Order: sequence, then C-alpha cells, then structure tokens
Amino acid sequence: MTDHHDGDRPLSTLGRRLLMTTLRLGSLRVRLVAVFAVVALTAAVSASGIAYWLNRDAVLKRAQDSALKDFRVSLSRNVSGLPLGASCPDLTGLANDVASSGLGYTVVVVDEAQPGCTATSDSRFTLTQVPSTLVAAVDRPRPVGEGNPYAYHLYWQRVDLGGAPYLVGGTKVVPTGPTAYMFKSLDNERADLDTLGWSLAVATLLALIAATLLAQAASATVLRPVRQLADAARRLGEGKLDTRLTVSGADELADLARTFNSTAEALAAQVEELSAREAQSRRFVADMSHELRTPLTAMTAVTDILEDEADALDPMIEPAVRLVVSETRRLSDLVENLMEVTRFDAGTAKLVADEVDIADLVMSCIDGRAWYDAVELDAPRGVRAMVDPRRLDVVFANLIGNALKHGGSPVRVQVSQEPAGVEVRVSDSGPGIPPDVLPHVFDRFYKADKGRARSEGSGLGLSIAMANAQIHGGTITAANAPQGGAVFTLWLPLKPPPRPGDDPADAAPNGAGDHG
Amino acid sequence: MHPVGQNDRVPFLLLIEDDDAIRTGLELALTRQGHRVATAASGEDGLRLFKEQRPDLIVLDVMLPGIDGFEVCRRIRRSDQLPIILLTARSDDIDVVVGLESGADDYVVKPVQPRVLDARIRAVLRRGERESSDSSAYGSVVIDRSAMTVTKDGQDLQLTPTELRLLLELSRRPGQALSRQQLLRLVWEHDYLGDSRLVDACVQRLRAKVEDVPSAPTLIRTVRGVGYRLDPPA
Repeated sequence: MTDHHDGDRPLSTLGRRLLMTTLRLGSLRVRLVAVFAVVALTAAVSASGIAYWLNRDAVLKRAQDSALKDFRVSLSRNVSGLPLGASCPDLTGLANDVASSGLGYTVVVVDEAQPGCTATSDSRFTLTQVPSTLVAAVDRPRPVGEGNPYAYHLYWQRVDLGGAPYLVGGTKVVPTGPTAYMFKSLDNERADLDTLGWSLAVATLLALIAATLLAQAASATVLRPVRQLADAARRLGEGKLDTRLTVSGADELADLARTFNSTAEALAAQVEELSAREAQSRRFVADMSHELRTPLTAMTAVTDILEDEADALDPMIEPAVRLVVSETRRLSDLVENLMEVTRFDAGTAKLVADEVDIADLVMSCIDGRAWYDAVELDAPRGVRAMVDPRRLDVVFANLIGNALKHGGSPVRVQVSQEPAGVEVRVSDSGPGIPPDVLPHVFDRFYKADKGRARSEGSGLGLSIAMANAQIHGGTITAANAPQGGAVFTLWLPLKPPPRPGDDPADAAPNGAGDHG
Repeated sequence: MHPVGQNDRVPFLLLIEDDDAIRTGLELALTRQGHRVATAASGEDGLRLFKEQRPDLIVLDVMLPGIDGFEVCRRIRRSDQLPIILLTARSDDIDVVVGLESGADDYVVKPVQPRVLDARIRAVLRRGERESSDSSAYGSVVIDRSAMTVTKDGQDLQLTPTELRLLLELSRRPGQALSRQQLLRLVWEHDYLGDSRLVDACVQRLRAKVEDVPSAPTLIRTVRGVGYRLDPPA
C-alpha cells in the first residue's frame, strides 16, 4: 500500500521527503555517525599527536647530539694547532678546518683579542645570527666546584634563520682560546618530520572515513529494524491489524518486535470482537426489518381495497379502517427507512447513477407527491449531473416534505449550476430552526420538540437524505435565512466519486468496441 | 407472440409468490384492479401452471424455495417471450441486475402499492399492441409493424414485448440518440425518472437477438454520455 502511495506522489515531493529524512538533525543515523566520528577523530588525533611528538624529539635529539659531539671533537682537535695570539686569517682557518672535518655545519670563530674579525667558514653566517642569550650563556664562566670541573660549557639552541631551522651551538675554548659557534641546518629533519606529520594526518583522515562508513553500517543494522517497526506501527494505525514483524535475534530490538506483535494481536482480537458485536446488532436490525417487511407487503397490498371501501362502511368501523390504512403506510415507511439506514451502516448501499436533468428530477418529485401548489420552483433546465434518480428523489422528498411540514408553504426550491457541481436550496417561510437544534437536525430519531411540531416522520428522513447526498460525494447543510425560515442546501458533484462495489454497468454499459 | 393487451379482454396474470399472506393480498388487490389471477406458491408449481394455463403476464417473486425466481425466468424465456415483472426486496441490490439479465421486463420493490404494480402491468401489456401498419428494413433486420414481428435474414426473431417496443421506439427515430430516461418514458411509461439499468439490460438482450456480433453492435449503438441510437447500416 505504501509503495502505491509513494508511486502516486510527485517525484519532487518524494525527493524532498527522502532528503528531509536523511538530513534530519538529531536523527539516530546522524547521531551515530557523529559519535563514531568524534571517537575516531579523538583516537586518531591523540595517537598521531603522541607519535609525532615522540618521533620529533627522538629525531632532533639524535641529530643534534651527533652534531654537537662532532663539533666538540673537531674543535678540540683543531684548536691545538692555533698559534697564540692568532690573527684573523688564523681564526678563519680554524673555522674552515673545524667545518670541513664535521658533519656539514658552518663554524664561526670569534676571539676577544681580535674584535671586528669575523672568522666564518661560510660568509652567510656571522656572530649576529647567534642569539644573544646563547652568547651570554657561552661567555659566562661558571664557578668551578665539586660538581662542575669546568668554567665553560658547550651550549646550544634551536633557532629559525630566514625560515629555515638551525641548531646553533657554542663554546669557549678554555682557558683563553677563542669562542666557536656552529650552525647546523635541521632542514632534513624538518622535512622528515613534515612527511611524518602528513602521513599521520592522512591516516587520521582515513580513520575518520572508515569510522563514518562503520557508523553507517552500524546504524543500518540498528535502523532497519527501527524503520520496519515504524512502518508496521503506521500500517497498524491505518487499520491493517494483521500487521506483524519478523522477530530475529535476541537483542532489545527483537524484544520490541515481540512486544509489538503481541500488542497488535491483542488489538486485532479486541477490534474483531467489537466489530463482531456491532455486526451482530446490525444484522439483527436488518433481519428484523426484513422480517417485518413480509407481513407489511401483504398488508400494503390490501390497504387500497380497504381505503376504497371505507366510504361504504359502517360509520363506526370506517375510522378504524382508515387508521389501519394510514398506520400501515407509516409503518411501511418506517421499516423502509430502517432498512435503508442499515444498508448505509453496513456499506451495502449502492449507487445506480445515470446522467439526468436535475430540474426534471425535482419536478417529478414534486409532481409525484402532488406538492405542485405548495412549492415555488426556480429550476432552469439543462443542469445535468450523474446521480441515482431514486436516491435523489428520496433526498428531495425528505427536504421538501420536511420544509412543508415544519416551515409551511410557500416552500422555495432553487436549482443552480456551480463550477464543480449542482446546488439545490430548499427554503421555507417558517420560524426557522432553533440554534440548539441546528447541529442535530441530521441526527437519527432527533425530535425537535421545542421549536417544531411533533415529528410525524420516522425521525430518519433527514439522516437518510444526508447519507444519500454523501454516497453521491455531496453534502447537505442546514441554516436559517437572514429574513427568516430554514434553508437546506444540497450540494452534489457533477459525477459521484468511484466507489468499490458500484455496478460498473452504469458507467460503461456496453463494453468495448462500441463508441457510437 | 402472445395475443396480449387486447382492450376487450381481461388480462390473465400468473402470480408466483411463496408467502401466503403476500400472495393472498396481491391476489385480492390485482383481482380488484380488474385482472384475472392464478397463483402458485413455488417455482415448480408456477412453471406447471404457466404451461397449462398460458397467462398473459407473470408477476414473479425472486426469493422462492426450490428453484428461485431467476431460474423460473430463464426457463420461461427459453421458449416464451411473455412479459415478466419481478417482485424484489430492494431496488439497488444485485437481484435487480440478475433478474433483468434473466429476461425480466420490469421490477417492483416490496412492499409494493397495488396501484403501482397495476400501472406497471398495464404498461408492459400495452407494449405488445400494434399501432401502425408499415414496415422497415435495417440491413438483414426487417421490422413489420402491422404483424408486430421482427425477422433477421428471413427468420422470425422471438422478442419480448418490451424488446420489441424498444426496437420500435429506436427505429422510429433512426440515427437519433435517445437518452435512457427518454427510453424509460417511451417504452416503460415511467412517469418519474427511473432505473436506467432496465434500459441497459433490455438493450443487451435485444442486441443478443438482432446483432450479428452482440459484443460489437452495428445496429443499436451506444452514444456515450447520452444513451442509445439505431443506425441504419451503410
């Protein structure tokens, strides 16, 4: 059934609904994906972060230890060859010697005795590039004591020179030697670490994608039963009480499905019992009225004879005969109405529609009941509609009869063509309908004692009129006119809506191949 | 064809109804309306009486013990075309459709007013009355209005009075569409708007008899949204 409905719906609506369902914030699917993503992100980022920092430390430490150690060894080996009171070229030679034997670093040598001399193995590097804090640390003698045998130490610092990372180390050659600094590029290490960082970022991203997919899969396994449950609940709500779920597994959802099934079963049993009881009472009324009709048919057959002969009867007997005749007819009407009501209740009432002129129908209704003098008719011919003439005759007879009985003549009947149907207004010139009665005029056996004379009908007339209008897809409304009097307005569509069980012969009486 | 509806003759009716009270009541009422009435309490009795007494018309209850009204109707229609009026429980149920398909000419709903039943009986009996004395041919179908007979390829067609009257009314206005309600007034003499299924069922039965291929009619055509039309063959 759902598929059928969806198929009928325009595609855009369907697409929008699908999108809404998918994107609905706070939906279980979105929440699951979000939780999985957060967990995956946290795990991946912390793991990558720790790995990165540990790696970074290890790589840098190794690079810098070997560079500093090499610098120290090379310096102490070469400084011994430096003459006392070395000149600037001597210092430059020392710088070049130390640098050339080392691990690809640049050496800058300064001496207090040669101020202004910048002895460097590479002219791009001078003392100015050495951070002042490092210079201060290198130049400051430490008190020599038990724990510290030397006054001067090798100090280092990592700096950024023109965007490139460098390790800068410096030491004073004891006791009065020059001070040497080394610049070791850490570009390789940085490149290595960058590569590592990128790899970790990609790994994190992959983990995130994997987590999302996993969440989708997990939510599908959870959501499929949930959706099935929702569908089943909806079907149950639509009245398909035989809806059951397939119980699989032993999880909470299976428990829920079991509960749903037992609830549906209990509901179905209850509804069945109720409808069986209702059907029973309806069948009783239908059977009863059917049984009543057989004797009534026999009685009706002879009422005409009695009526014809009444004038010739003994004056004592004549009123009795007339009473029997009139009450037989009343009983007959009542039983007929009762049967009509049971047909509407049971849904077995059928429409035998034909295209007819509404004015003709009103006219024949008035004619047949000899109401011609009491009714003002304003019905242009040519207003045609597909209706059941017999049922519409019942509607008109009830509305006009009711107006004549309660409102009194003149009763006015107006037929008008509306864009999508036909409107018939029956207005009377009586006292109108009291406001407290107005909502109940179409109720069965509702007797409007206060405002209206004793109901002589079955008390079913207007409710049957309403049911007959509704089976045509129309309706009747009751109101009071501003100038006084009650107005009943019947509205009918030009064509009754298709109903299952209608006689298809009415619509196409002759089948295929014959279109005149 | 039965010599029915002669004005100087009292119509002879056969009433088949199982309920004693209804049968007695209707017999009383119909006799008083000026008919001669024979009665039967079951379908079997009814068929036997029909063969023995040859009534002008049958008033037939649908719900009968033993063979039901529809079956009685079908059996009579195998050999005879006399008018049959059904007594049904209600007008909108399947009984009416089945009854009309079985060959009934009209139906009334219980409890029926005797004067309504009488009017229907007289109307259906009038359908067999001859009126003019010309004849006309539509392809192989020849309608002889003086003899009230219809032949197809020279063979006599067995038409009920209602079928015959329907064909006559349509042939009176060849090529002109008549609505179901018009036909109900002309053929069935219904004063008020009546049940269009009477027309549809009768057209079906008539087509079965006069058309070469009843499912693809060329003589009695449906005019969608209007009614029916008799087309002279090209």
